[in-house]
Amino acid sequence: MKTPDTIETPPFLADHPPHPDFNAMSDVGFRELVREFVSSHYPDIPRFAQRRLRWPEVKPWYARLARCGWLAPTWPQALGGMGLDATRHLILIEEFERYGCARIHDIGTVMLGPLLMQYGSSEQQDHYLPRILQGEDIWAQGYSEPGAGSDLAALRTTAIRDGDEWVIDGQKTWVTLGADANQVFVLARTDATVKKQAGISFLLAPMDAPGVTVRPIENLEGHAEFCEIFFDAVRIPLGNIVGEVNQGWTMAKALLGHERVFIGAPRLSASALARLEALARKNGLWNDPAFGDRFAALAMDLGDLNDLFESYMDRLRRGEVIGPDVGVLKIFQSELYQRISEELMQVAGSLAGVRLDDDGDRRHDAAGTYLAARPTTIFGGSTEIMRNVLARYSLDLPA
Amino acid sequence: MTTEPEEWVENVRMLTESAGAIVPVDGDLSRVRSQRWVEPGFSRKVWASVVDMGWLGIQVKEESGGLGLGVRETVALAQVLGQGLVPEPVLPAWLAMQLAENAGFDAELEATLSGELLMVPAWQASPAGLDPHTGITVSNGRLSGSRTAVCGATGADLFVVTTTAGLALLPRDAKGLSMTTLAMHDGTFQAQLDFDEVVCELRPCHDIASALDTAMVLHGGYLLGVSERAFEITLDYLRIRRQFDVAIGSFQALQHRATDIKVQLELARAAINAAAAKIDLGQDGTHCSLAVLRARTRAAALARQVAREVVQMHGAIGCTDEADIGLFVRKAMSEAGQFAPEHALRKQFLTLRENPIGNSLLDSSARDHVPTDSLEPAHSTLIGACS
Ligand SMILES: Cc1cc2nc3c(=O)[nH]c(=O)nc-3n(C[C@H](O)[C@H](O)[C@H](O)COP(=O)(O)OP(=O)(O)OC[C@H]3O[C@@H](n4cnc5c(N)ncnc54)[C@H](O)[C@@H]3O)c2cc1C
Repeated sequence: MKTPDTIETPPFLADHPPHPDFNAMSDVGFRELVREFVSSHYPDIPRFAQRRLRWPEVKPWYARLARCGWLAPTWPQALGGMGLDATRHLILIEEFERYGCARIHDIGTVMLGPLLMQYGSSEQQDHYLPRILQGEDIWAQGYSEPGAGSDLAALRTTAIRDGDEWVIDGQKTWVTLGADANQVFVLARTDATVKKQAGISFLLAPMDAPGVTVRPIENLEGHAEFCEIFFDAVRIPLGNIVGEVNQGWTMAKALLGHERVFIGAPRLSASALARLEALARKNGLWNDPAFGDRFAALAMDLGDLNDLFESYMDRLRRGEVIGPDVGVLKIFQSELYQRISEELMQVAGSLAGVRLDDDGDRRHDAAGTYLAARPTTIFGGSTEIMRNVLARYSLDLPA
Repeated sequence: MTTEPEEWVENVRMLTESAGAIVPVDGDLSRVRSQRWVEPGFSRKVWASVVDMGWLGIQVKEESGGLGLGVRETVALAQVLGQGLVPEPVLPAWLAMQLAENAGFDAELEATLSGELLMVPAWQASPAGLDPHTGITVSNGRLSGSRTAVCGATGADLFVVTTTAGLALLPRDAKGLSMTTLAMHDGTFQAQLDFDEVVCELRPCHDIASALDTAMVLHGGYLLGVSERAFEITLDYLRIRRQFDVAIGSFQALQHRATDIKVQLELARAAINAAAAKIDLGQDGTHCSLAVLRARTRAAALARQVAREVVQMHGAIGCTDEADIGLFVRKAMSEAGQFAPEHALRKQFLTLRENPIGNSLLDSSARDHVPTDSLEPAHSTLIGACS
C-alpha cells in the first residue's frame, strides 16, 4: 500500500476562485474540464482499488477535492458545492470512474448534507455543512441493528430524554467505514408506545462521546470495512436531533431512494465487463464462440442497463420522484454485476479462487470481483425486499 | 473393484463414521479456520491421521497395501471431507497415487501409504485445460514446461507430472523445478510449477484419462459435501432468523429458492453416484467419461448456486469473515473450477458425445481396440482435441 508523502490534517480550507456555472457548459466542455481536473489533481494514492480505501489513505484526495471546492458536486454553490445538475453529476462520476479515482468517505456529502439541507435547522446547517466540506467530520450511517436489517423499523436502540440531553442505548451494526468516522447518525426509538415506524427519531452522535465503542468486522474480502457500534448510556445534547421528534422514519426513507438510484448506476457492471474481456483474452477464450455468445448477452444487458439508467436520470432531471420503480434499476444492476462476476469465475477456471493481496494486479481479478458483487444485492434494500416493494406498490398486487 | 450393495453400504458407513476423527461431528470449523493462509495450508498432524486411518489407500489394490474399495465408497468419504471443509490434500493425493500405481512407482506408492511422502498430481497446462499431456516437452530425459493449479503443492514432497512420454515423479527440490505459490480464498495454496530441463525418469502410464475421470467424480463428491453442509446451515438460519416478526424461512421467495437448491442437490447426488457406479462396474471409457463430465458439471454448478444463495439468504452476516457460512463460500469459490470450469466440461462432453470411441454402448471393450500408437490412446486424443 502506498502511503502519501504528505499527510494533511483537517480542516481543509477551500482556496479556489469562485466556481463558474458548470451547468451552462456544454457536456463535452464539462467532461473535458473534469478529465483535466482529475489528471492534474489526483494524488499519489491507489487507482482502481477494489476495496474502499481507509481514511489515512484517501485523505490526500479528500483534501484536494475540499480545497478545490469539488467535494460536494450536487450541493448548491452557495453552500460550498459545485451546484451540478443530474447530467453534469453523472459526467463527473463517469470521469472519476474512468480514471479509477478512489471513492472518498462520502456519507457526509451524499447522505447527511442533503438531509440537513432539507430537514435540518439553520444552526445545524451552519455548524455541520462546513465541517463536512473541511474534512473535520467524517460521517457514518447507523441504521441497521442485529435484529433490524430488512425490517429496519424493528430497531431497538433507544434515545430517552433526560433534561437537556438524549441518552442513547443500543447497538448498530454493518456500519460502513464506521471505524474511520468521528460522527454517526443514528435512528433510535424515542417512543415505544406507538406503531413501530412512528416512534423513531434521527439523531447525531459524536463517536468520541463516552459510552461509544466500536468493533471492526472483517468482510469476506478480508478488510475491516464495516463495524459494530455500541451505545452505552451515551449522552448527546437535545439539539442533536434532525427534524421533529419521531419523524426519523420519513427522513430515513427519503435518503434510501436516493441511494438506490446510485447503486443502480452501470459503472460497477461496466468495470466488471471490462475485466471479463481482459481475462477472456488472457485465457484464450476471447475467440471461443460459446464464450462469445455469453459475453454478447452480458454486453447487451449492460447496454440496456445504461439506457435504463439514463431514462431514470431524465426523470430526475425533470424533477420527477421515482418512487418504487427505482427497484427495477437496483435489481437489474446488482444482479447483472453478479452475473458478470460469475462468468469471470468461469473464465478463470481452476485459478478462480486465487486471492490477491492489496497490491495485486486487479485487471484479471475474478474472485475479488465476485466478492465485491455480493453485498450489492443485500444493502440499500435487498433484492428480495425490492421485489416485494415493486410487486406491492408498482404492480399494485395484494399484500 | 465391484462390491455387492450390502457390502458397500456397510463399507460406507464404517468410513464415514471413522471420518469423525478429523471432521468434527458437531460441525466445529475452528480447526479449519486456524489453518487458513498459514503454509502449507493444512495440518501435518491431521495428515498423519489420514494416513493412520488408511484413507490414502482406499482405492489402492489390497495386494499393494490398500483397502481396495471402489469409487462409490471413496465418493462417500470425499463427501464427508467436503462437509467438513477438510483442507488436507486427500483428493489430490488419491489422483497422484492412482497415477503412480498405474505407472508402477511401487516404492513411492508405499512410502505415501505409510505417510513418509506426500505426492500430489501436476497435470494441468492451463486453467480450463483438460488435456493432461500438453504443456510439457521431454527430450533426452529432461522435462521442460509448466503445470498450473497444483493443489497441495506447498506441502508436497513429490509431484506426479503427466507428459505425452509417460509419467514422471519429481521431488520438490529437483534441480530446474521452480514453484510459484498462489494463496487461495479458502485459505489453501495452489502452485504454478515451472520445469527447466528437469532430469526425470519417465514410465509409461496407462489410463491417465480414466484416473482423471475417477478424480473428477470424487471431486464432485467433495463439492456435493460442501454444498450439502452450506445448505443445511442456511436452512437452520432461515428457521431462526426473524424479521417482520416471522422467521425469514416463511417467506415464499426464499422457500422457492431453497427448493431449487434441493432439486439441484438431488440431481448432483444421483449423477455422481451413477458415474461412480459406472466406473466401479467397469463400463467402457466413453460411457464413463460422459457420465463423469455430467456429474462433475452438475456438482460445480450446484456449488456455485449454493455459494450465491447462502450469502444472499444470510444477508450482511453472510458477507463477514467471522460467520462460518463464509468458509463454505470461499471453498466453493476455490474448488468449483478445479479440473475445469463448466463451460470446458460441457464442451468436452459434446466432443465425446459426437465422437465416441468405438460403439461405447455395444462394445464395452472398445477402449482396448483403439490403435496403441501413443501411450494413452483412447482418451488422450479426444481430450487433446478440445482443451
Ligand atoms: C457491505 C454492507 C455495507 C452496509 N453498510 C451499512 C451502513 O453503513 N449502515 C447501515 O445502517 N447498514 C449497512 N448495511 C446493512 C444493510 O442495510 C442490511 O444488510 C440490509 O438491510 C439487510 O439486512 P440483514 O443483513 O439483517 O438481512 P436480513 O434482513 O436478515 O435478510 C436475510 C435474508 O432474508 C431476506 N428477506 C428479509 N425479509 C424478507 C421478505 N419480507 N421477503 C423475502 N425475503 C426477505 C433478505 O432479502 C435476505 O436475503 C450494510 C450491509 C452490507 C452487506
